[in-house]
Amino acid sequence: MIGMDEKLSFFKDGLRLDGRRPDELRPIKIEVGVLERADGSCYIEMGDNKVIAAVYGPREVHPRHLQEVTRAIVRYRYNMASFSVEERKRPGPDRRSYEVSKVSREALAPVILTSYFPRSVVDIFVEVLQADAGTRTAGINAASVALADAGIPMKGLISSCAAGKVDGEIVLDPMKTEDNFGEADVPIAMTPGGEITLLQMDGRLSRDEFRRALELAKVGCQQIYEVQRRVLVDRYSSIAAPESCEAAEAEEEA
Amino acid sequence: MIEDLGMDHNNDRNVVVPGDLLSDDPKASGEGTYVKDGKVRSLLYGMASSYKDKVRVIPLAGKYVPAPGDTVIGTVQDIVFSNWIVNINSPYEGLLHISELPRKIEMNEMSKYLRIGSSVMTRVKDVDSTMKVELTMNDRRLGILTRGRVAEISPTRVPRLIGKGGSMINMLKKELNCNLFVGQNGRIWVDGNDDDMDLALKTILIIEKEAHTTGLTDRIMEFLRSEKEARS
Amino acid sequence: MSDVVMAEIRKDYLYHLVLKGERADGRAFDEYREITLQTGTIRKADGSADVRLGKTRVLVGVKIQPGEPFADTPNKGVIITNAELVPLASPNFEPGPPNEVGIELARVVDRGVRESGAIDLPSLCIAPGEKVWIVFIDVHVLDDCGNLMDASSLGAIAALMTATVPAAQYGLGEDYPLPVRDVPVATTAVEFGDAIIFDPDTDEESVADTKLTVITTADGSVCGMQKSGPGFLSQDKIYRIVDIACERAKEIREKFLEV
Repeated sequence: MIGMDEKLSFFKDGLRLDGRRPDELRPIKIEVGVLERADGSCYIEMGDNKVIAAVYGPREVHPRHLQEVTRAIVRYRYNMASFSVEERKRPGPDRRSYEVSKVSREALAPVILTSYFPRSVVDIFVEVLQADAGTRTAGINAASVALADAGIPMKGLISSCAAGKVDGEIVLDPMKTEDNFGEADVPIAMTPGGEITLLQMDGRLSRDEFRRALELAKVGCQQIYEVQRRVLVDRYSSIAAPESCEAAEAEEEA
Repeated sequence: MIEDLGMDHNNDRNVVVPGDLLSDDPKASGEGTYVKDGKVRSLLYGMASSYKDKVRVIPLAGKYVPAPGDTVIGTVQDIVFSNWIVNINSPYEGLLHISELPRKIEMNEMSKYLRIGSSVMTRVKDVDSTMKVELTMNDRRLGILTRGRVAEISPTRVPRLIGKGGSMINMLKKELNCNLFVGQNGRIWVDGNDDDMDLALKTILIIEKEAHTTGLTDRIMEFLRSEKEARS
Repeated sequence: MSDVVMAEIRKDYLYHLVLKGERADGRAFDEYREITLQTGTIRKADGSADVRLGKTRVLVGVKIQPGEPFADTPNKGVIITNAELVPLASPNFEPGPPNEVGIELARVVDRGVRESGAIDLPSLCIAPGEKVWIVFIDVHVLDDCGNLMDASSLGAIAALMTATVPAAQYGLGEDYPLPVRDVPVATTAVEFGDAIIFDPDTDEESVADTKLTVITTADGSVCGMQKSGPGFLSQDKIYRIVDIACERAKEIREKFLEV
């Protein structure tokens, strides 16, 4: 957050610097099952963000002492490639990535049925290949799809996005310039039913502005959910029209 | 919010994702589903289907979870005291105890009888609440695999590879000139001459890929017929 | 997360094939898998390359920033090469700083770039003794399906060849393409069953206990080599590998690097 001395205007004719309306998401592209070695994977582009998520698991926990007897543990590791940001970043986690990893894990863990897999771990790895504000939300979106791709039982897909305040306006999905110079940033994640699993806020907002930002972010999440779901469903539509397994089995008997 | 997906999709696809609404009747909750606020939803990324008065979801992806009675193909990873530790393509390893062999072996003969890296066909004897998996090889139909090849497919496709009442697997055994054994854990053993094994494995991979489609058995029979013609 | 012991039945099969002159995926011993190369995919980086070698996938990013030269080479630019074998790329990779495998990968990729003279270091000098261009080559492995070395090297040189020195944002003149004077290409082979197998996949790498990487330049000279793994290599096998490496590298250079 930088002071407002700049003469930079973020709106022109009601549109933002990149031509979006205040309530518009950046273009999204999602691909599922992009990696060979991982059990589940997803590549996502949200605006200029390029993020890839992979899931390994459930699998054996190493080191053993971390395992829990009655359920799977969930681990989430958010990492940024050195070349993903403007100034080359030293490889390895920093304090920010530890925090992002923690809140992201806590955004997804509530929907994962960990009791199905005692003494195991579900490992979620997110690599940011190019960053433009909103990488943690992109990571969570990709991780949700990767978890489904891996066949992890869940109550629902988690969708995530942020709202911010720029030049006095509440906007959806701030890009980097807006985030750097804006007055507030509110990333959230939620279930399709509207239950919030990630909520962070920094900046300064009146209570009414916060409510509006949250409502706007929720709308964004719903839109993202549609894309996540569509990608997963469409994946099995390219081959002969599938019918229920029951019909297929009945056919066998005939 | 996002409701009403997965149910009654007249666009024929009933691929569902976790959270998709399947039924308003909590009593209809079958495998792969859960109930919340009186509604039945999918737990899995899979195919939803109705069977009698229940709706269930069959997974399209996921790891193998051992269940007693399953026959599984494993690879010996380690020998610890009186147990062989066997990788069974699962988050859980299998323990094959020295007493579960067809004949009596002394502890110091373990490595000679069955060494690290060996492949075995075993049955899951017991799985306890902490997912400790006990295997047995004490059955004529089980044993050490010394020849042939082992392929791995997603365990979620094994039911389709076997088919209702064994229809698919029996057809394959007849048409392919190979010994075939399908482990519940997604590992399949084939044995025959090189070309026949190549064809068998190729066929198995097609079945894995198209498991969720209809008319598969016929298409596979057609495929095998044309492959055999091409050969002769 | 440790390597799973490979089934002997699988090892036997691979050896059996090799004796027949075949490989599991039907390739010839000296044949490479399909290569796809896309450059400029990470616009925020100064150069980037997304390499697919069969199912192996590596992303290389190049960042060029001004910095201080090393004390013993005050008039030369600096190349810093790093490789991240991130856990998403393989069940065998653990989080944490690079281990010996990752470090070896980075150092061999670096060797190819440095020893070939591909980058003219004195030309990267801005103010002698004070400021030079630092070229960061960051290899980010995304999917390890065998032969990370060749994929990473290819990515590195491709990213460098399409990189731009961002002089403008530092007030050091106009942006200009990074001058690259040679095109080092790495070719790797493993040895097992008395055969030499190029571009090994995951299983072939597991079975073999010896690997040799040969890096050649555009004129067919050798500028880097690395034998890795605990096995033996006979001299005549080494010469054969070098000969084939030169041919394969030339083909890759011509097809993908427009040389």
